[in-house]
Amino acid sequence: MKFYTYFLAGLLCLQGSAWAQVDEESFKALQQQVEQLTQVVNRLVDNTETQKTRIAELEAENSQLKQTMDKKVSIQRAEGSSSAKGLAAFNPDIGVILDVTGQLSQSDEDAEGNDKISARELELVFGHDVDPYTRLDATVTLSDFEEVSLEEAYATYWGIPNVNTRLGRFRPRVGKATALHRDQLKTVDEPLVVQKYLGVEGLSRSGVEFSGFIPAPWEDVVTHEWIAGVMEGGVGEDGALFGDVRRRPSLYARLRHFIEFSDETQLDLGSTYLTGSSDDDQRFEVNALALDATLTHYLTPNNPLTLQAEAMLQDRDETDVLMEDKPWGFYALADYKLNDRFSIGGRYDWVEPIGLDVISSPRNEETAWTGYFTFHQSEYARWRLQYQHAELAEGTNDDRLFLQATFAIGVHKHAIQ
Amino acid sequence: MKNKLVLILCALVVGVLPTTVSAQSRLRVVTTLATFADLVEQVGGEYVKVDALVSPKFNPHFIEPKPGDVLKVKRADLFVHAGLDLELWRFSLVDAAGNTQVRPGGDRELDLSQGVMLLDVPNESVSRAQGDIHIYGNPHYWLSPKNVKVMVQSLAEKLSNLDAEHADEYQQSAERYIAELDRKIQQWEKAMLSEGQGFVAYHNEWLYLAHFLGLESTLFLEPNPGIPPTPKHVGKIKALMKEHNIRTIVRANYNPSSVAEALARELGVSEVVLCPQVNALKPCTDYLQMMNYNVQSLKEALLHE
Repeated sequence: MKFYTYFLAGLLCLQGSAWAQVDEESFKALQQQVEQLTQVVNRLVDNTETQKTRIAELEAENSQLKQTMDKKVSIQRAEGSSSAKGLAAFNPDIGVILDVTGQLSQSDEDAEGNDKISARELELVFGHDVDPYTRLDATVTLSDFEEVSLEEAYATYWGIPNVNTRLGRFRPRVGKATALHRDQLKTVDEPLVVQKYLGVEGLSRSGVEFSGFIPAPWEDVVTHEWIAGVMEGGVGEDGALFGDVRRRPSLYARLRHFIEFSDETQLDLGSTYLTGSSDDDQRFEVNALALDATLTHYLTPNNPLTLQAEAMLQDRDETDVLMEDKPWGFYALADYKLNDRFSIGGRYDWVEPIGLDVISSPRNEETAWTGYFTFHQSEYARWRLQYQHAELAEGTNDDRLFLQATFAIGVHKHAIQ
Repeated sequence: MKNKLVLILCALVVGVLPTTVSAQSRLRVVTTLATFADLVEQVGGEYVKVDALVSPKFNPHFIEPKPGDVLKVKRADLFVHAGLDLELWRFSLVDAAGNTQVRPGGDRELDLSQGVMLLDVPNESVSRAQGDIHIYGNPHYWLSPKNVKVMVQSLAEKLSNLDAEHADEYQQSAERYIAELDRKIQQWEKAMLSEGQGFVAYHNEWLYLAHFLGLESTLFLEPNPGIPPTPKHVGKIKALMKEHNIRTIVRANYNPSSVAEALARELGVSEVVLCPQVNALKPCTDYLQMMNYNVQSLKEALLHE
């Protein structure tokens, strides 16, 4: 052991003498090299730290992904909602809605098949933005017993400040029920007042419509909306308000007041004035006032109760003194959603038909009691069973039973009412 | 006839008049959900006026926008929404509003899903046979506070772009909020005693919360998304709960209570009502409180297992 101690001491002495021989210049060069090496080492340490952090992040992400894979949940960073890529992004939204209705009737007359099952309506719905200011929507209706018809084809234009414009063929907003598509109705059929005055499926006319809001200090609670339009004359199938041919254009204006009492309770009040002609002279001899009220109350978030009433009063310049020149009609409807699956409701209709001979006709009005039960299979499929007892102006009664199935596929956007 | 035309023209003129009753210097921000409104308030502070369209009492999937909602969006300086396919009704809403700047891709529209981490993104083609499936992924992403950090940053950037004068304030508020969120995230993560526990949910809307807390959320009372529970499916869930000893059922405040309550009673397990949105229940007064409540409620329910 002593030997090694002496040996090491000797070496150190030799080294010390050699060190003394190094000149100052070499010492500085060595010092620089040491500094450079120190910097390199520091950088390497930094890199190692960064890599350690990154490895930890990747390990965490990996474990998260592993966990996700284990749970069969896929994970992805969102790129936003409009993820249709390429030219496909410019394709229109397309939706298809099928309405199949079976019907049993007490009536002996069977010109169009009172007892039948039919694909009553197949709606093909297309829509897309044209440019930043315009959107185009179209609905083509096919049926197994009627001609193909263009139910709607209109452009919505937002270029006028505070005014929305619709141009083309559309369902004019002259009331509640007539502005709705069949799949939006609470019942299988349109209310009698709509059928008798505006057509079996309500109004669908070519024209131009403007709408906007009326400013008010209380608009957080009550919203006032105005609608005004010009539409081609005549009305839809079997409608009698302005006749059934395209004569002079009809005009309409509507005021709507929407009151929000609370998140659960809202009242929608509307009044519409229509004027037009049913004959071939220059006069606008038919005037009508439509009033509507809808109260919606959510007993729970899943149990809405809807109470709705709509009336239409006419002032007609009838040349035939035997004809009622101020016919009117109304309906009242109650609908209650029992739960996610089922809803029930009823409707009462009362209407004075246009052109009714008040002297010879057995009844001066037509009435109907309707009760229905709806099964909501899913958001896109619905079944409805409806019973209706109608008392017709011709003096007969009719009991009808409907079973309606409605199915929707694709993208189907309804305009907000 | 002339009188009638004059009346209609008057109605048109009234509509064209500027509809702002009083000029307001604050940015008018309209959000679809109450949770987003809270985040906008946290970032925007006194420089914004926020309105949320959907009451937290209701399921945001199924909303019928009201005329008042249309008017708010029409006048909005910024429209904030969840993007993806959560609020499909928003497309009709912006159509009706006619405010071209808040339409998809507009300068005053903000899709808060941008950049967040999405779960349940379908890897294969989807169809409605799978129920009301979400084609872009599960859209309830704000229930992960890690995603909220991304959302808050997006909000700060958007508000700064629209109101450059107060950009510094927006950025500072966002940074403060994210720092606070980071602190809370650590607390919430520690709150769960053990990972891997599971619960049954009414609808698949707690996936992000479960994922964040290391819990399992793979069983649902709905047989498919958006399809109400059927007796057959509930029977199957009951058997699975027994088999895997799952003793907690979770639902949102707006989900129907009857099935969850009946099942909880029958199996003797706990049923928890959580807040999917700010203000959905009384304790959930803001996002942090909502997460506190949800984490604490879940913890208590799982501890009773």
